[in-house]
Amino acid sequence: MKYISLFFLLLLFCSQAVAQSSTGSIQRLDAVVLSDVKLKRYTNGYKLTVLSDSILRRNRTSLTDVLRFNSNIYFKENGYGMVSSPSFRGTNASQTAVIWNGININSQLNGQVDFNTISSSNYNSISIRSGGGSVQYGSGAIGGTIHLSNDLNFEKHFDHSVQIGYGSFDTKNTSYNAFYGNDSWSGSFGIAYADSANDYRFLGTDRRNENGAYSNLDINLNLGYVLSKTDVLKLYHQNFRGNRQFSSTLLAPSNSKYETEDYRSMIEWTRIGEQYTSSLKAVHLLEQFKYFENRDLDNFSKGYANNWIIKHHYKRDISKRLALSVITDFSHITAEGNSFSNPKRNAFSATAILSRRITSKLQYNLNIRKDVISDFKSPIVFSGDVSYKILQPYTIKLNASKNFRVPTFNDLYWNPGGNLDLEPEKSYQIDLGHELKFSSIDFKLNTFYIKTSELIQWRPNNVTGYWNPVNIANAKQYGLEAELRATQNIGKHTLVLSSAYSYTETEDVEKKQSLFYVPIHKANASLSYNYKSFTAFYQHLYNGEVDIIGNTLDGFDVANLGVSYTFKSKKKMSYITGFRINNIYNTYYENVALRPMPNRNFNIKLTLKF
Amino acid sequence: MNTKKIALLFLSVALLFTSCSNDDDVNPPAPLGDYENGILISHEGNFGQGNASVSFASYDLATVENNIFSSVNSSPLGDTAQSIAFRGDLAYIVLNVSNSIEIVNRYTFESVATINTGLNNPRFIAFANGKGYVTNWGDGGVATDDYLAVIDATSNTLIAQTIAVAEGPEKIIANGNTLYVAHKGGFGQNNIVSVVNSNTDVITTTITVGDVPNSLQLDGAGSLWVLSGGKPSWTGDETAGQLSKINTSDNSVMTIDFGATEHPNHLALDNGILYYYMSGSVYKMNSTATTLPTTAELTGLSFYGMTVNNSVLYGVDAVDFTSNGTLSAYDLSSNTLSNSTTVNIIPGGIYFN
Repeated sequence: MKYISLFFLLLLFCSQAVAQSSTGSIQRLDAVVLSDVKLKRYTNGYKLTVLSDSILRRNRTSLTDVLRFNSNIYFKENGYGMVSSPSFRGTNASQTAVIWNGININSQLNGQVDFNTISSSNYNSISIRSGGGSVQYGSGAIGGTIHLSNDLNFEKHFDHSVQIGYGSFDTKNTSYNAFYGNDSWSGSFGIAYADSANDYRFLGTDRRNENGAYSNLDINLNLGYVLSKTDVLKLYHQNFRGNRQFSSTLLAPSNSKYETEDYRSMIEWTRIGEQYTSSLKAVHLLEQFKYFENRDLDNFSKGYANNWIIKHHYKRDISKRLALSVITDFSHITAEGNSFSNPKRNAFSATAILSRRITSKLQYNLNIRKDVISDFKSPIVFSGDVSYKILQPYTIKLNASKNFRVPTFNDLYWNPGGNLDLEPEKSYQIDLGHELKFSSIDFKLNTFYIKTSELIQWRPNNVTGYWNPVNIANAKQYGLEAELRATQNIGKHTLVLSSAYSYTETEDVEKKQSLFYVPIHKANASLSYNYKSFTAFYQHLYNGEVDIIGNTLDGFDVANLGVSYTFKSKKKMSYITGFRINNIYNTYYENVALRPMPNRNFNIKLTLKF
Repeated sequence: MNTKKIALLFLSVALLFTSCSNDDDVNPPAPLGDYENGILISHEGNFGQGNASVSFASYDLATVENNIFSSVNSSPLGDTAQSIAFRGDLAYIVLNVSNSIEIVNRYTFESVATINTGLNNPRFIAFANGKGYVTNWGDGGVATDDYLAVIDATSNTLIAQTIAVAEGPEKIIANGNTLYVAHKGGFGQNNIVSVVNSNTDVITTTITVGDVPNSLQLDGAGSLWVLSGGKPSWTGDETAGQLSKINTSDNSVMTIDFGATEHPNHLALDNGILYYYMSGSVYKMNSTATTLPTTAELTGLSFYGMTVNNSVLYGVDAVDFTSNGTLSAYDLSSNTLSNSTTVNIIPGGIYFN
């Protein structure tokens, strides 16, 4: 610990001493506009896939739907709209971190994010950073990180968008978004509501999806104010309220329901000097849930966690080609629930990052981080990444890192079973990427290897008679990911193909078997066509067979088709009508065993922009 | 040895031989089905994941057939097979999470009927007076909605009338027309045995036993043995296990206490000897004894379920609950492992067919 403090001090002094000239206005602009600058600054050697606004609007609003059809990530969804957990490069749900405007929002209670409690409606972009990111984004960033960003636009504008949609199974979607900007102010507001009876018929039977109704509301408000030539103040707020029944399986009836409520607020003060940028963030995250075993009774179990964070990011430009950053953060977390009394955690972390641009073609980052957490010892984690543009279209990227996942409050304090002797999970990985970038074709190929030890699993304890989490398992994941994006213009016709394929091998080292619910093959492709005001798209997903406990679950193909037409009036106003067919081939498939997914269904959407 | 005894011995040997030869003359009965004469193992499978199953094993565990229900009936069994009980040629498989009872021919395992209404968190079933009595927790989080569902065992249909009982009814056993229900406590902890008259279907009395009664055994002398595990330490109110002997003629209770941190389970009774499992060990106690044994018969075990039949102890190990479990047989005359075999995911109940 002494040496580490010394190292950080040394870094700070160095950065003070060798400060030189500015590295240009682009970086300064980034610091003003972006909510997650780290994602742009320190990701050279990583694969980054950005899902733009247009892709987000084309898909349904749950993050599960967006990512399933547009990324390499596999989802294990407990019936449509129900709890959905990702597997990123074969890792488990608590090894994928979700980053909201630069802040890790994985649950303090179970370490995961339920991807059906994130609405994609109110973000400018969603980015997927593949590979370990614990140094930048903390616990759980092992397989990769998903970034939800609200960026601020200070150009003069004032836009509105109203959307209403209706579809099969009494599915309703409504949203309103407003965007405002002038020289000193920028703001965006979004409210989105989704509601569905979700009572689709199970193909080949006379049964329906019972107890599967859901509704959710997502409110988002972001503000930016330029205080002076050097100072910007930003405010981000998001509130999600979900009310879901938990659907029956083919063999088990259910009448339970689950209510969640999440509040996320952040205030950020950024100062941009000649040779430095400094950003100070104060964040509050609140997650809470209520579980009703019987939805008709007012009898529930509950839990909540509060997380207060202060975070400082200081970046010093030492030369045009060399920058040093020091990030420190402190968080205070409290929780309360039926299954534990009221645990608290204090966590401090310090990170140092050295970024060097040797030439415009060759750049690298070196990162080191140490966490000090009140409940247990945390390992030093580090990462290094390099990108080298060998010749015009071809760039090679390499990153290696050590990452970790801390035990959750459930792991430590759940009564009965909570184990205070747990240690964080530790993971090493290496990822080699190739990128070919032509004017109309973009191709990425990555190979990765992840090795995780001290994996926390709940196991029955023969002495006590109940279950305990223990650092017991070891896992390996390795594989390959390919992404292709191609654009073809013929006159006024535009065709865009976007596809992703992943090959993932996993091993539970102790049991010498594959991990459950990870497909070896997963592929998706979408083709969109645009002619003047007319747009059509086709999406296809192939999800390979997965191992489940004592069995295997068949793979499946599922596809969606959509068309839209834009009516433009003379002024700024435009109407977009859209029609969409989900599961166009009416395929029976189960994403999780015994939980059939929806048959062919339809959706119409009307968007008004002004 | 005097002559009288020798004569008696000869007489009995002679009798034995004649009875044997008589047997030999009779044609062997036609087999009742593939699963006659062996052991049935019920597997809970994973909660909510619909992989409950039943396996059949020969008594020597040399042959095992898994998933016998689904292979005979070409349909999955259900979710979380909690227990099996027999009546005549039928086996009643209680499926806790499916809220159903699958009724099959116990020897062929062909499905006869399914009861899937009127049950909520069903656990165990016992028969008396032509009726089946099913313990139900109701909603796990509600202490006041527990009940016995009653089945007309001739038509295998549910009788509308239920019997409301105290929190957490678990094991149930019939003694003539009287039923004894052990209230383990469901999600909580309880400490009573309810006594139900099957002529009137009302609770005649409740008997206080140790905390968390987990197993019941009736002996031939009219005594009901109740083993209680005691409250576990995580409740913050740990209590000792207790063995209770209830005289079924007057419901008087005699108890033997375990040590303050001892939590026994899986009471078995074979030839007048009681067996139980505690912290990885099996203990044996003569039913006439008044103190607990101090040394274990078998140690180093991990049993999720256990029973004894003709001096052979059968135990199932659910391992880590995601791998296949094991079934092991121990010869209790020598306390040695006779055989062990792999079964399915989360084996829980062991039954003799």
